[in-house]
Formats: sequence, structure tokens, C-alpha cells
Amino acid sequence: MLLPEPEQNILDRRDEIVGALKSLLPKGCVIDDRTTMKAFDSDGLSAYRNLPLVVVLPETTQQVSDVMKWCRDNGVKIVPRGAGTSLSGGALPLSDGVLLGLGKFNQITEIDYENRTVTAQPGVTNLAITTAVQDNGFYYAPDPSSQIACSIGGNIAENSGGVHCLKYGLTTNNVLGIEMVTMDGEVVRIGGKHLDAPGFDILGVMTGSEGLLGVVTEVTVRILRKPATQRAMLVGFDNVQEAGQAVSTVIAAGIIPAGMEMMDNPAINAAEDFVNAGYPREAAALLIVELDGPEVEVDYLLDRVATLMKGAGASSIRISQSEEERNQFWAGRKSAFPAVGRISPDYLCMDGTIPRKALPEMLTRMSAMSQKYGLRVANVFHAGDGNLHPLILFDANAEGELERAEEFGAEILRNCVALGGVLTGEHGVGVEKRDLMGEMFTEDDLKQQQRLKCAFDPDHLLNPGKVFPVLHRCAELGRLHVHHGQLPHPDIPRF
Amino acid sequence: MARYTPENCTDIEDIVRDALQNETPLHITGYGTKTSLGGRVCARDELSLSAHSGITDYQPEELVLVARSGTPLLEIEETLDKNGQMLAFEPLHLNRFYDQPHPGSLGGIIACNLSGSRRISAGAARDYLLGFDAISGRAGYFRSGSKVMKNVTGYDLSKLMCGSFGMLAVMSEITLKVLPRPEFMTSLSVTCARLTDAQSALSAGFGSATEPSGGAIIKSGGGFKAVLRLEGVKISVKDRIASLSALLEKTGTLAVMSAEESLDFWQMMRDISCLQKGAEQVWKLSVTPSYAPQIIAELEAGHEVDYALDWAGGLIWLGGRGAELGEAVRNALARHDGGHATLMRAPEAIHASQPVFQPLDAALGGLQSRIKTAFDPMYILNPQKIELAGAADANAL
Repeated sequence: MLLPEPEQNILDRRDEIVGALKSLLPKGCVIDDRTTMKAFDSDGLSAYRNLPLVVVLPETTQQVSDVMKWCRDNGVKIVPRGAGTSLSGGALPLSDGVLLGLGKFNQITEIDYENRTVTAQPGVTNLAITTAVQDNGFYYAPDPSSQIACSIGGNIAENSGGVHCLKYGLTTNNVLGIEMVTMDGEVVRIGGKHLDAPGFDILGVMTGSEGLLGVVTEVTVRILRKPATQRAMLVGFDNVQEAGQAVSTVIAAGIIPAGMEMMDNPAINAAEDFVNAGYPREAAALLIVELDGPEVEVDYLLDRVATLMKGAGASSIRISQSEEERNQFWAGRKSAFPAVGRISPDYLCMDGTIPRKALPEMLTRMSAMSQKYGLRVANVFHAGDGNLHPLILFDANAEGELERAEEFGAEILRNCVALGGVLTGEHGVGVEKRDLMGEMFTEDDLKQQQRLKCAFDPDHLLNPGKVFPVLHRCAELGRLHVHHGQLPHPDIPRF
Repeated sequence: MARYTPENCTDIEDIVRDALQNETPLHITGYGTKTSLGGRVCARDELSLSAHSGITDYQPEELVLVARSGTPLLEIEETLDKNGQMLAFEPLHLNRFYDQPHPGSLGGIIACNLSGSRRISAGAARDYLLGFDAISGRAGYFRSGSKVMKNVTGYDLSKLMCGSFGMLAVMSEITLKVLPRPEFMTSLSVTCARLTDAQSALSAGFGSATEPSGGAIIKSGGGFKAVLRLEGVKISVKDRIASLSALLEKTGTLAVMSAEESLDFWQMMRDISCLQKGAEQVWKLSVTPSYAPQIIAELEAGHEVDYALDWAGGLIWLGGRGAELGEAVRNALARHDGGHATLMRAPEAIHASQPVFQPLDAALGGLQSRIKTAFDPMYILNPQKIELAGAADANAL
């Protein structure tokens, strides 16, 4: 995986750039010593590390604007960073780029229960939003596993999901407005407490744009009333294919649970060793199904789901009898990644999505690939929406294992696309899946996406080297190819 | 004056390429049901997608439906209904409103991002567009999105297509997420003397755990009727109606509507038949819900207006008259936390005298124009449907 070649003239100007940034920002907002910068050299994709040119931690929107404008005027690249929990390397620094951290934007600015919104600065953590409103019975629905640490601004950049997005949607379905700064340093506000902002849906394309279009400086999200009852069900299966089929059966019956997760035997046992969640160790696969709503509804649907599961071949069913037990059921799932971290020196977490009905086929292919590459795999799925998180276990100190694990991961994602799915369901492309974009998109598809980038950042200064495998110059992308490359009537003025 | 009715994607591409080469802009339509919505398109030739029709893939168990952009909305809704499913964003049916024979095409609904009452709980049309393929104004075929529920691969161009009013690309096939239709629905009406009380009833309902799927207010007698819709499995709806009634018993006179009454009420909201017939102008205001009563009070003070509210108060349908109403509407919004207003219907002279959509500030307007240029540098597709700030230069990008 290669980042764009650093520009030598920028590296040579480092002292001047650091000096200029220090003049724009208050004391303590510019970090330029290599030891302290070390803390920013990677994100959640820690296999890749790189020191930035300099780190800036502005405190106000005006300062973000000043920094971006200066960088634009001086041709200096910027990599935005929230909490640095990205699993795809979206915040991986560039040697010739300024790392712009939003960590000091850590205030919730308004809670509005009447309109059911929270407005927060981008560095506020996802969980802090729920924490701020839970005493009044509200919560913020998207709940990525990293919610204790990940920032709401980063959630916008990555369009983060979580176990409950099956029913409540991803970040994009829960954000109402943003303030953002463009690479020109212009401050733009889109949306707010009203719905469907006028004009082209810039809020929609900003969400999930991985820090390539602008820097978010304020976020307004909708909050929801906590359901009256939440209960979870653990369903064991003797083979993974049956479990995969059961997921489709529930959805086909017209039931959309709040969450429907799946773990295979290696993941079950790793989680069980770690937190004693009470999972059936002998099961080949485990489904965790959560239902929420009024108590009568939850009871009724639990009953229906249990019947469907038995019909689908379930070998064991347990329903949470208390809030404590429900949390225990989830504890295993939510700690699945660190749990796997204990049984293997290293792991790679993949993130493809496939049509639900392809789950059984994918699981069969997965075990074949595991044998082919000689690497163990533990599977944790957001099964309800077909989002896979295979964890490939390897040892980075063993000669060639990282490369083998990466090849294994790439083959999984190619299979996802071949089965009608996509490369990433919620972790983003970043640098990790950048070079696989061609598996899913044609050159023309990617060029049209990059033309959108040009509308925001024509000089490719904002987070270049992420998402797109090839950077085309905007002038080249803008050319119209009609009449064999010649514009019609080139002498007349354009509109 | 030519009218093209392509039957496949290749033909669409050829027509757009010819238009680009000849620099003759195209008016992109389905069945022309929403020609009155938005600015008057500055094009002599029409590209109608009405012959590019049909559901090409429908997998109920995957909650996915794929259809050509010219497929009639009614055909989609009937097909889903037969399978116990629905378009959760509850598209508006504008045929009565614009005096048209039917509600138009799927492509038109998506291009205009027209969502109905369930917008407040389930999301907008834009939240259900999983993917599409299209011909850009550069006459280039491209695809975006997928047929799966969860996808963050590349920019989410689906969001951009929704609400672009055909100004960026001509969609060929549209992939939608669909949802099971609730097995039971009923509504609770709360009649109040004052609009603020009706609005408070909606706010309390949506702030409760009863999960309303719609919240509207209409004038009723001398007062106001707030209506909250509950949907789901029957046992749950019955339980939630009881909780909601207990919660709201002090705010006004309660009545549980019958299934038929309830259905009629929400169809009236879907059809925008909630305003008195014959209003000279109709505006759609998207506002911060709690400010809706103040905005209306301010407009009522200076103008004769009729209105109904949806989206828990966040949407005001406003009927009125006079050339100065538009300015009053935009000023009222500006004084109450922003929001935006669209002129949905008006006599041509009034329509021509002012912007149809909310004018944008310079920074946002500039971005919009540059996005247009990224997809359609020669302004071939639906020019003037949305007024864009500044001039575009095909060679600037």
C-alpha cells in the first residue's frame, strides 16, 4: 500500500509552514516535535504508520478556516482527524501534509428535547451524545463498536453504522445538519433542525466522504426516545449455513429486529473466554437478535422469531430475562474484536456487505479460503443487513503472514462483490481498500466520483491518497470527450 | 421541438450525446406530472422516460426493488402492496395537486425527493435510494451504490441524485430499499383550541416511546386537530394508543380514529388535499417544528393564509395569495431558526417574479454550481429547474 510520493519542496519548507501555522493558532495548538507527533502517526488501522509534517489542533471554526485557507494558498495538503479510530486508514497522516485534529472541539452546544435534536462539536464522542440525553430517556441511535472513543465528526466522515442500524439506519439517516469548512476556507452551513435542505444534497455526500470534501466543525443529529423494552435472544445453530438462512427467514417474515448479529464458533469461544457472556461454546454459529418496543410487542415478536428459528434448525434458544442479562449477551459481541486480539498476535478486520441470501454461500467460501491461505478466521457479522466482519488471524512477526492475510482479505472482498455486494459496509475505503475500488467500479464510475471531489477541492489538497487508487487532475477530468476529444465550437464563449 | 422517448439506457446515452454535441438542452421528464414544480426549464427538446419502464428485479426477502426510472409510481406501489411491502418514505402523490391523471414516475419521485408523512419517522426518499445508473450531462454512463443495505464504498452519489431535479444526470435504473408494510395502523386525534397546544401534543407524542409514524395538524372547526399515527403489529399499536392517550389526555379532546378514517386522513396529507381548494399559491415550508406556530402567527398577521402541518410540525403546507407573500414567508423563516420554503404552485406571473426554491448564500451557491458543472458542464440537463448561482464554465473544471 503506497501513499502519494511526498513533495520534496513541501518537506523543505517545513520550518516556514510550521511558523505560519503557529502564527495562525494559539499557543499549544501546533505540535511539531516528532516525539509528540508519534501519538498521531496512525488510526485504528495500526498496521500502517506515518509521521505527519506537523499536527494542528485548532479550537474554533475560524481557526480551521484560517488553516485551510493558508494551506490552500500555499499548496499544502491536509489530513483531517477525529478520534483516530478509523479501521480503514482514513486518518493516516501524509509526510508532506498537515494533520488537522478536531480533538479540541469537544463541547455539546445544544440539547433540544422539543425538537429532539442535539448539536455538538465534531470531537464529541458518539457515546457522549447518548450519555448527555439518557437521563431524559433519549439516545442517539447509530452505535459503532468504537462508540466510547469515536467522534461524531468522524462518524459523519465515515457514515458509521453499528449493531442497531438494521432498524435505525446509519449516520446518514440520523444527521440533520452540519457546519463545514471547505478547502477554500469558506464556512458553509447545511440543514439544521429542519428536514431536507434545499439544493443538491451536500449533507448527503459529505456523510461518508472520508474527509475528502470538507472539514466538519459542527453537527446536528436527531435523537430518539429510548424504547420501552429491549430484549435479546441468543440462538445457537449446529452449522453456519443454517444460521445464515435463518437470518433471511426472519426478514422475509416481515420482521425487522433492532439488531441481528452472527458469530461463528471461533468468535463465540474467543468472546466466551474473554467475558463469559454465556454463549453456547459448542454451537457452530450464534445469532443475537434484539427486539425493542412496547413490552407486549417485544414478547409477541420474540415468540414469533423463536418459532421461525426453531423451524430454521436452531439447536438452542435463550431469551434475556433482565436488562443485566441483555447487556451480558451483548458484552460478548461488543468485545469480539479485543477477544480475538487475545487469541492471535494480530488480526485484520474486513468489512464487505453481501445480499443476505448469499450468507450461507459466503460462509462456505470463507472456510475454503481459510484453508487456502493457512490462516484462521473468526467471523462476526451484522447479519441482518449482510455486513460481514471476518477477522483474519495472523502474526505480523512471522515472515510473509501480513501479506498473506492481506491477500486473504482482498479475496474475501472480491467474493463480496462477485456475490452482488460491496467492498465496505461501514468502515470506509480509506487506504485499506483503495486499491480494490476497481473491483466494484469502472474507470468511468470512479472518474465521475472524482469530478465531485473537484467541485470541492480542485487541487486535491484534502486527504489525497485515500479512497481513489488513481488521482486524476481535475483539468483532465473536466475535459469533455465529444467529437473525439474536441469541444464543439471551441471558439464560442461557454454559458 | 423534439420529444424523445428512449426505451433503453443506450438510447438515453445517444440522445444526451447528441444534445451535448448540438448544445441543445433537454427537458428531462417522466410523464410530465411535475412540470409545474421548480423553475421553468429552458429547453425546447424533451427527453421523456415514460417508455423506459418496468420493474427489473424485485426480491422481497432482500427488501430490494430495481426498476427503470420511467416506471409508474402506482405500478411500484401495487407490486409492493401485493407482497406486503411498501415504500417507507410514503411518496407524495401530486396528481390531484397538479391536476394530472396519475402520480408520475418513480424517477420523478426520486429526482424531486418527494417524501410524505412518514418522512419524520422513516426518512426521506433519499434514505431509500440504494443505487442507480445514469447518463451524466457529459453523456457518460456511470453507476453508483449497490443492491445491499449497508454500503459506504465511495461517495454516496445516490444522495446527490435525490432532489437534483434531473439537473445532474438522467437516471436509467433505480435500486430502492423497501420495507414490510405494517400489519395494522390507527391514529389518535387531539383537538385543541390553540395551534401551540396542538404542536405541543405532537412534540410530546414524538418525544414518547410510542413511536408515532406520522404527526400532522389541520384546522378543525374553530380549533386545531393534531393527528398522530401509530403502526405495527396490532397488539403493539393497541398498547401504544393507550399510552399515547394517557400522555395527551390533558392537552385536548382525544379520539381514536377508525381504520378507514385514519387511512383517509393520511391519504389527504399524501395528496396535499389538506388545504382549501383554489388557493392562488401553495408553499412548502420546512421548519424547526417548535417554531411552526410562531411562523404561522406571523404570516397570519399580515396575510390571509390557509395551512396544514405535517412531519410533527416540521412541514407547513401554506396556501395564500398576493405577490408579496413569498417575501413574507422567507422573512418569517429567517426570523425563526432558518429552514426553507418552496413555491409549489402559483400563477405564472407570481411564479416568474421570484425564486421557487430557497436562495442559497454565496458559499453554498458556489458549491452547488460547481457540483452541477462536475456532472453537466454544458447545462444540457433541465437548465433552470433549480436556479443556480453564478455562471458555469465548462473549461473551469
